[in-house]
Amino acid sequence: MGALAAPEGPDATVGIPPAVTEETEAFWSAASEGRLLAERCRSCGAESFPPRGMCRTCRGRDTEAVEVTGRGRVYSFTVNHQQWLPGLEVPYALVLVEFPEHPGVRVFGRLRGCPAEAARIDMEVEVGFQPGPGGFAIPSFVACGEGVGR
Amino acid sequence: MSTEWLERRVVISGVGQSRVGRRLDESGFQLTLDAILAAVADAGLRVDDIDGLAMFPGGGVANVPGYVGARLYDVQDALGITTRWREGRVEGLSLPFYGAAQAVATGEARHAVIYRTVKEGSAARAAGGRPAYGSTKAEAEGPLAWLLPVGALSPVCQVAPYATRYMHEYGVTREQLAWIPLVQRSHAARNPDAVYREALTLDDYLGARMISTPICLYDCDVPVDGSTAIVVSAAEAAPDLRAPVRIESMAGVIDGRPSWEQWEDMGRVGRATAAAMWARTDLGPPDVDVAQLYDGFTIEVVWWLEALGFCGTGEAGSFVEGGARIALGGALPLNTWGGQLSGGRLHAAFGHTAEAVRQLRGEAGQRQVPGAEVAVVTNVGGYEAGAALLTRW
Repeated sequence: MGALAAPEGPDATVGIPPAVTEETEAFWSAASEGRLLAERCRSCGAESFPPRGMCRTCRGRDTEAVEVTGRGRVYSFTVNHQQWLPGLEVPYALVLVEFPEHPGVRVFGRLRGCPAEAARIDMEVEVGFQPGPGGFAIPSFVACGEGVGR
Repeated sequence: MSTEWLERRVVISGVGQSRVGRRLDESGFQLTLDAILAAVADAGLRVDDIDGLAMFPGGGVANVPGYVGARLYDVQDALGITTRWREGRVEGLSLPFYGAAQAVATGEARHAVIYRTVKEGSAARAAGGRPAYGSTKAEAEGPLAWLLPVGALSPVCQVAPYATRYMHEYGVTREQLAWIPLVQRSHAARNPDAVYREALTLDDYLGARMISTPICLYDCDVPVDGSTAIVVSAAEAAPDLRAPVRIESMAGVIDGRPSWEQWEDMGRVGRATAAAMWARTDLGPPDVDVAQLYDGFTIEVVWWLEALGFCGTGEAGSFVEGGARIALGGALPLNTWGGQLSGGRLHAAFGHTAEAVRQLRGEAGQRQVPGAEVAVVTNVGGYEAGAALLTRW
């Protein structure tokens, strides 16, 4: 279960909010409740992100939102040091996260729960969110205890 | 090869540039006119000969500070010409001259000009540093909706995780990749139009501040003010042209998901495009005399070296290490004008194309590759990629 906790780490509210579309409205609404939604095809079961209203595996149109739970694994990361906007707190780590229980889903987000410099490929993270720009909750994955750092 | 690919019916006849600098006082519109007039004269044509006009970007990238949309209709009006073909692309700009080549090959236009103008140097100065991509719009639209809100506020942050992954998988080091910006700086020293010409050392590189790990300051191209224009003409018009250059083959393939954060790996776009380019020619990697490979970031050069087959996947680190192979005098002189890393971010491979044309004409001055007959040019902008082989007339 995701958490919209007060962030232990840099503030993320300075930035550019998303333009919400009919396809992405459900994602951002769930995000505000701390839930991460991907898209699942009712015909073939394939999951994907972001939502398109069409299965990119079988081209089926019968899709549904599926909540992503369980641990994610960091495919890769970067630690951003540049202050791209006035007031932006740096450094912070950005992670591309994949989910062993949800093949086909990858989500970009921030990393918290450890120093930015502790980000590693293959580290395990929990789904989470934190307050982002424009009042939106943005994906902000939480480092799992073991294997963090060093 | 018996197939007559459409690009064989056209030539690049002219290239022209305005002044290029970190910050210029002229308006983007005046820089654009400077570049177009220079390109038309370079082709040996008169302004009245131009009957096709194209710009990049078209209307859709107005969210980037310093992207100058010198409007196509304003430019046509200033030039006082009649156009039979016009285009303003954002999506689909695999190469600067791709659409113009198609239009001229099919007879829609005989001499088409395409231009690209930037004032990103001035924009960075005004913002007190290189500004966020998309920061002139209130909301992040399309693919940017998954990038900007989480804090991936620049293409640097968007490319960086793929560089991290590449270096992790293949054991490639910063000490190896440094040779790309170092060698390009040594080339810029021979180019009076480059914005950074003083020597860069390995210590300078390793000591530079990180922008977004593992990408440091010297891995990023330099925002500048300037404009580049290219003239594409019908091959049958060659007798009227001063110094045409052939387009041997060109391609632009999007293979996989067109999304910064959903790529299987970032090399994939380049591999599919390179394969398509090689499929349209009898030439191969050993035939290439000089390479102008898009270098928004050092890592993009790495992926192109591998995608084009100059070395195997994961081998670019050792390929560039020490610099001899990619320097002037080496087997594959790379970005001989300094590239965008030292020459300036003229963007979308306009600067790279201009340099390839100069090299194939023997007009590259102190940085000329002797007897250059085949040049490769590549472009990449996120998921858009293009590659072309240009050859001496």
